[in-house]
Amino acid sequence: MATTEPDADWHGDDSSISQLRGRAFEATCLAATAFGLVSVLLLLLFVANDAFRPLSADSGWLLTYAVTVVVPLAALAVYYYRLDEPAGEVAYVTSGLPVVGVLLTGGFAVMFIELLSILEWFALVTSLVAAGGLIVAHGRLRPNAALERLVVLFGAPIVTVLGTPPAQFNWLVTDLAAALGVDFGLYHRVISLREVLLRLPYVPTNWLLLLGTLVAPLAVAGGVFVARRCDSRRAGFAVVGATLVGALVGLVTGPALGIGYGGWMLLVAFVALPVGVYVEGVVRRREGVRGLAFPVTAVLGVAVGSVVVDAAGLAGPDSWIDWGFLTSATSRTAADAGIYPAMVGSIMMIIVIVLATFPVGVGAAIYLEEYAPSEGPMGKFVTLVEINIGNLAGVPSVVYGLLGLALFIRIVQWPQGSIVVAGLAVGLLILPIVIISAQEAIRSVPDSFRQASYGMGATRWQTIRQVVLPEALPGILTGTILALGRAIGETAPLLMIGAAASVRLAPNGFFDVAGMMPRQIYSWSSELEPAFRHGVLAAGVITLLAVLLVMNATAIVIRNRYQRE
Amino acid sequence: MSTETPEPDITSRPRGRAARERMYQYLLLLCAALSILVTISIVALLARDAITFFTLVNPLDFFGGTEFLLSRDVYGLLPLLSGTLLVTVIAALIALPTGVAAAVYLSEYASDRMRSVLKPGLEVLAGIPTVVYGIFALVYVTPFLRTIGLPVNTFNILSPSIMVGIMIVPMVSSLSEDAMSAVPDSLRRAGYGMGATKFEVTTGVVLPAAASGIFSSFILALSRAIGETMIVVVAAGSQPRMLNLAEPLQNLWQGFQPMTAAMVQINSADSVSQLGFSSMFAIGLTLFAITFLLNLVSNRIAARYREEYE
Repeated sequence: MATTEPDADWHGDDSSISQLRGRAFEATCLAATAFGLVSVLLLLLFVANDAFRPLSADSGWLLTYAVTVVVPLAALAVYYYRLDEPAGEVAYVTSGLPVVGVLLTGGFAVMFIELLSILEWFALVTSLVAAGGLIVAHGRLRPNAALERLVVLFGAPIVTVLGTPPAQFNWLVTDLAAALGVDFGLYHRVISLREVLLRLPYVPTNWLLLLGTLVAPLAVAGGVFVARRCDSRRAGFAVVGATLVGALVGLVTGPALGIGYGGWMLLVAFVALPVGVYVEGVVRRREGVRGLAFPVTAVLGVAVGSVVVDAAGLAGPDSWIDWGFLTSATSRTAADAGIYPAMVGSIMMIIVIVLATFPVGVGAAIYLEEYAPSEGPMGKFVTLVEINIGNLAGVPSVVYGLLGLALFIRIVQWPQGSIVVAGLAVGLLILPIVIISAQEAIRSVPDSFRQASYGMGATRWQTIRQVVLPEALPGILTGTILALGRAIGETAPLLMIGAAASVRLAPNGFFDVAGMMPRQIYSWSSELEPAFRHGVLAAGVITLLAVLLVMNATAIVIRNRYQRE
Repeated sequence: MSTETPEPDITSRPRGRAARERMYQYLLLLCAALSILVTISIVALLARDAITFFTLVNPLDFFGGTEFLLSRDVYGLLPLLSGTLLVTVIAALIALPTGVAAAVYLSEYASDRMRSVLKPGLEVLAGIPTVVYGIFALVYVTPFLRTIGLPVNTFNILSPSIMVGIMIVPMVSSLSEDAMSAVPDSLRRAGYGMGATKFEVTTGVVLPAAASGIFSSFILALSRAIGETMIVVVAAGSQPRMLNLAEPLQNLWQGFQPMTAAMVQINSADSVSQLGFSSMFAIGLTLFAITFLLNLVSNRIAARYREEYE
């Protein structure tokens, strides 16, 4: 027990050697951490070089923009990083918001060009609002009729938006009817409010519809937000008024700028309004106002640079990514190839995914976190569900493609390679990710909030809807955006469900066959011509990565803003 | 005055309120149960065609066959399995040591500022679409391997495997780091109290204590490598091939066709027999079974280490 061993080795004996060993180990570990990062960074630089070809520009052109844009911005960035972090945050958001806004504008513009006319949009929005109104009104009038509520919840959208089953589902109704030997008489469908609106003999002009259904609601939302923040109704009305006037100005200036009044109105609603609201908040709080210098410098720098370049007649780089690439279809000749139809396909696929996975995923997460019993047979079932979700997250994406092929194409018989099938297959793939991240967000809401709500006499569902969900929403949104980023890049399921290799025309319905961005990139990767391999392909990769970057940056901003300590 | 106001009846339970509550609960339960339905439909739908396949092809010929030729209706799994095995082994050789070393650095050595840069950076690696990694392998890595003197073909198994390795590094590092962070500080202090250096504490105390968590991250990463599709589809070629055991190094320079790539090829082939089409489901079911089992095992191990320290 108390035996002493004077001859035992003392750890410090060879201290100089072990210090060296420790240092070497630490350096090795750091190198391992950096290995993946550095190699991917290098590869990205190669791709970016192929896509933009900066070296094909005159050196004067590069020099001009380096002096007017890169150097000032880099200096500002160093300043924010070292000395003024709040201003850095402001700089990040004020430069990022317009980018996100322009992307949204582009998305809506594509939607109005390819998917629905402004009148159809108006009819859709009006009918959705009517359905919501019906549901709310029923809840007010008969708060205790649960079963009726269920009927209204699902019936109202059918009456206002869908009408009786559209053609794509007819097989279900008619086959079932035939099997049962009954004639439902559904061959003359009952039309919905939406379709009634579409057949109105007199409709307002397009700009009025757009102003009423898109700009005005966003303006009111912004106005309410500002009014609450400043505690002043006048400020709110000022925001609404300024937005509407700004949008109306577009009737003159839009066509003059060549973007049409529609483009102008979208820009006002998605770019000018959020940026204005954010900047107003920054200025009023006087926090990080210096951050505003960053976007101003960027815009001024580009303006000055372009004037100088024009005056000196310097040629810019012959980049593969340009307006033509983003707005034209793919082609046999590399110079004409573009990614536009694939982008439309990706956007429409994302719409399907959001509609299909967000409600189900959040619903499942709410059940697992708020309702699930931990004991009894139900408890066992819940444990099984949890394990199963974890495992589904690890199932290879190609298997989900096989599932989509077997289920939606061979059994349901939706057209091969259509957007619905792609969206549902990829949606099933990201469903476990959405559930898991929503669960984490809901779990992070402190229990005291729930207790307080119960203490006020709220029921469980009231607590969830009015306390837990609003608190967890930023977290849920962050997780969903990250999952959607994964969805945009998924390729294997698209190959399995037969998404089109190259489409010349953008799809304009959800049952159309379409290609998506990663599918298009994959087709380009099998072209042998160097112009494709080192030009068009690189441009496609950069476009895809840019979209992902914007989505992830948005998710991070939301996370940082609302993170709970 | 105040006596005139009727007492609000706060104890009343309006009829239907309970029913409404129950309705929402069942609706939400339905959402949660959907995940089970997904699993069941994967198994059922894959099995449906796989069974048709196995009635026509002897399972022994499938699992033991050394040749895979769509055009001659010969379906042996071993060449595809060779490709999958190679990708997994090479990727593991890259990702497992790198991932654990990165986890050690992040959990034991990195300053807060370094962590705040490196961790999101590693997460970005996992967020890059796999088709992009495939293009990296085909267009940039393979020519690079040639310039440094390796005799690789245009389509080879080496460069996609390297990319798969880099892709799964963050998976190993983040899960291993979680395991190392879960090791209680008291163990580290005990080590320092004995006069051990930081290196000795890290390798002698933290790593063994976190071993089961690290091991579970390995299995998960391997399962990801086995199921990885686009990288190998783009860059590994479409030639099913058996492993050349006589000259192991030769394998690296040649193209292989792993299971996932074979499924994609069958599906996109212009004319494929009914049997070939159902072989895709047999391969898919095998793949699903392997990855599902690995995930289960990994979760089990991870659950065990969580119990150890909580």
